[in-house]
Amino acid sequence: MYNKIYKYRWQYLMILPGVVLLFLFSYIPMAGIQVAFKDFQIGTSIWDSTWAGWDNFSFLEDLQFLTVVQNTLYISVLKFICGFPAPILLALLINEVTRPAFKRFVQSVSYLPHFFSWIVVAYILQSFLTLDGGLVNQFIGQAGGEPVFFLGSTEWFRPIVVFSGLWKETGWNTILYLAAITTIDPQLYESAKVEGAGKLAQIRHITLPGIMPTISIVLILSIPSLITVGMDQIYPLMNSANHSVADVLDTYILRNGLQQGYFGMATAVGLLSSLISLILVVSTNQLSRKLNGEGLW
Amino acid sequence: MKASRGEKTAEYIIIVLLSLLCVSVLYPFLYMLAISLNDGADAAKGGVYLWPRSFTLINYEIVLGNETIRHSYLITVGRTVIGTAGGLLVTLLVAFGLSYRGLPLRSMILSYILLTMLFSGGLVPFYIQLNNLGLINTFWVYILPGLFSVWNMFVMLKFIQGIPEALVESAELDGAGPVRILWQIIVPLSKPMLAALGLFTAVGHWNDWFAGAFFVTKQNLIPVQTFLQQLLSAQDLSAVLGSNNNQEALARSSQLKNITLMSIKMSVVMVSALPILCVYPFLQKYFVKGVLLGSVKG
Repeated sequence: MYNKIYKYRWQYLMILPGVVLLFLFSYIPMAGIQVAFKDFQIGTSIWDSTWAGWDNFSFLEDLQFLTVVQNTLYISVLKFICGFPAPILLALLINEVTRPAFKRFVQSVSYLPHFFSWIVVAYILQSFLTLDGGLVNQFIGQAGGEPVFFLGSTEWFRPIVVFSGLWKETGWNTILYLAAITTIDPQLYESAKVEGAGKLAQIRHITLPGIMPTISIVLILSIPSLITVGMDQIYPLMNSANHSVADVLDTYILRNGLQQGYFGMATAVGLLSSLISLILVVSTNQLSRKLNGEGLW
Repeated sequence: MKASRGEKTAEYIIIVLLSLLCVSVLYPFLYMLAISLNDGADAAKGGVYLWPRSFTLINYEIVLGNETIRHSYLITVGRTVIGTAGGLLVTLLVAFGLSYRGLPLRSMILSYILLTMLFSGGLVPFYIQLNNLGLINTFWVYILPGLFSVWNMFVMLKFIQGIPEALVESAELDGAGPVRILWQIIVPLSKPMLAALGLFTAVGHWNDWFAGAFFVTKQNLIPVQTFLQQLLSAQDLSAVLGSNNNQEALARSSQLKNITLMSIKMSVVMVSALPILCVYPFLQKYFVKGVLLGSVKG
């Protein structure tokens, strides 16, 4: 055994940094979850802090927390309903283009927003929607309407989040579907044409079934993210006016934990959401095993 | 077989739809560029849609002359270069080490790595650990925690396992050790993969504002994106004009009253976005490849 380990000494040396980094930045924080059950102050040692039982979980009785959970689910489900079919549709459209140069151009342009941060997206939204001088309000003004305070309203918050999410990621998410479409046997289309099948019939009976495995994988993979709403996207758009609909689990943890110093309580919220997503991931894997014959790992 | 007339019309409709989509992606950038190149007070009157009406570079002079912004740019470039190079190195080393199927304890190490993808301690314990390690308020908080990307490692591992074993075996017969095999066989063959992963890592560093906003309080350590995030909710120009040592531009702009928060904001965004817009066309061939490899089950 020792000889064998010595034989692989270089390989172990190469793996070591990864193992150490994960220990420092993943495993020790996992052990740090005990803060959820402790009375912890920053600057003291986690291990020396006194146990607090379930005190930190009192947020469960907090009505505000209920709103936060509702907001999270509302936004994530809405984003899923719009964001899941959109790339499939776009991929089908792009696939119907017969001019290669135009096709390539559309693809390149549609991936572009993926490479910008949500902060930049927030600036774009601001330049279009702001109350004084935003492009949309300029048009509303010219049409004789009253300017709308899009960025500070509770009704507009969710549509803005969903729409900007679509704008940023739809193109990028078509990559997988377009790749799947290229693997479909062209002969299938030829024989369908001979049979007299129109474009729509071809899409329904050849393209869609052809990319069905990809669709189901993407569907399965997106289940665990249903309880997390990208904090990256929400935080820059959040303000005191739309707070009541914008506050989601991640921003709640951030505010209570890092900004206000309720470390125990924020850790407890984080633990709860980690557990739920773990359950979702594991059951998703079981589901995938049943449907596809193999799990995700 | 000729396309029927109906199909032709359908294709035109599709082309129009897709062109609209392209416009919706590109127009915001053009609009922001136009506003940033336009006199602020003039732009505020409305009506600037595509081209600057009253052209000026004063917004850019002020932004680029701002010490805080210039410094934040330096931080961003620094963390992108160091974080990407270091991240690629660690990821490559681990993936290569794990590609030896005969490695004792291999499956145990793989499980150790995989587990971190399934469960995490969450933000607060992570923050406490950063604090205990003394990383809060240091440059290294941008580099070290993200140095090893488990996801990239699995993509890389899969790629290395796709390299014909005969190549490695014949090199071993010639007496090459693992380090030499890595540098002389694996690295040259994985260049496209390394380029793709490097691109994603670099974009991630360039776009990250979170670490700068919550793990750092010293203003001289924040990256560009965090500066943008702070400016997003700014109510007046003091955030930008405050530490400006481009006195010349300021003095010349007796039109200082003509400078608006919006026009300054748009120039800062353009300054932060331009590098990505410039390298984007050259990197396309890599990222599609990267996504496809990454999406396949590891």
